[in-house]
Amino acid sequence: MDELKTMWETVPPATPEDLAGARRRLLNGMHTRRRVVTAPRLLVAAGVAAVTAVTPLIAGTGTPAYAVTRSPDGTITMTVNELRDPTGLQAKLGEAGIKADVAFLAPNTRCADGRFSSVDAAYNGQPVTDPDELRSLMNEWRSPKVTRPISVREIQIFPEYIDPDETLVLEFREEDEGAEVSWRLGAWLAQAGTPVRPCTPIEDAG
Amino acid sequence: MTITREVVESDDATLIERSLNEPESFAVLFDRHAPLLHRYVTRRLGPGEAEDVVADTFLAAFQRRGDYDRGRPDARPWLYGIASNVIGKRRRTERSLYRAYIRSGVHPAEIPGSQVEDGVNTLAVNRPLARALLGLKRADRDVLLLVAWAELSYQEVADALAIPLGTVASRLNRARTQIRQALEQGE
Repeated sequence: MDELKTMWETVPPATPEDLAGARRRLLNGMHTRRRVVTAPRLLVAAGVAAVTAVTPLIAGTGTPAYAVTRSPDGTITMTVNELRDPTGLQAKLGEAGIKADVAFLAPNTRCADGRFSSVDAAYNGQPVTDPDELRSLMNEWRSPKVTRPISVREIQIFPEYIDPDETLVLEFREEDEGAEVSWRLGAWLAQAGTPVRPCTPIEDAG
Repeated sequence: MTITREVVESDDATLIERSLNEPESFAVLFDRHAPLLHRYVTRRLGPGEAEDVVADTFLAAFQRRGDYDRGRPDARPWLYGIASNVIGKRRRTERSLYRAYIRSGVHPAEIPGSQVEDGVNTLAVNRPLARALLGLKRADRDVLLLVAWAELSYQEVADALAIPLGTVASRLNRARTQIRQALEQGE
């Protein structure tokens, strides 16, 4: 089958000039995640911000760090009073039937990319700058529909948007003192049966 | 981030793992494999689509790098597997290239200048080959060209396309039979 091997073999390997555009696209694409996920994060933050002024985040002594309750309508309410014990919160969600992976992050950090394979491009997607396109994508993606903030410390979870064996990945990040909101939440769905790697915090100014 | 000598000399698996915390390391993987991947795509689709396919391939790879099996130091099967999927979405372009070649005898990315006699002989072989490639099932063509043009081993093709080794062998056998018949029949 040597004839096939030599077929069009004078086609040369690409030069750096041939590849400049593709390389630029890759480098731009490496930094898209923050821009994309800002949208769901901002939506969450906006909901939280509405009551931040009247409700301090950190609860007093004796208040549990978190609670998970199931409502009669089938939704689940996750109350987070303190960003402490992510494994415990994860276990509580598990008891409520939500397979979750929870990470708590210090200010100005985020989990390193590529922890999991998402069911949609809400995580690690291409950049979206047009508000209409973003709105349309938010409607199309399932990840943003799974969680909704209902108060400064309560997040409502809608299990109807989670398919069997998918993992709800929750990354809470504490914000700097004096920030408009106390913490932000990134919430995404990892594909059914795929692993979610532990969060490796890295610096993130955004 | 500064790309150090240590990063440049790492194997692909180490680079990919490193890129989880230092995304820029992934550019080293691009510089390492993109030139030949581009050539492979150009042979299959022509020069017009190659840059886009290479960019799409590496972007998809970057997004999935968390799932990379770090037990595989060479990322070529992984990258060519992703590229095969991207190429598969442009089947029409590939078929058009083969048809155009059958008509004109010119691949748009080949370096011209070989002697006329050689060119004629080459054409007498390549035209039936192009016709045979056009007639192959996509799955068979992927396997055949990953072996012939990307120079992957059978096991690497199996890894690239996530198919059993036996399937690689049977697809390759079927494709080679068709190619052989096409060459026997000639122009």
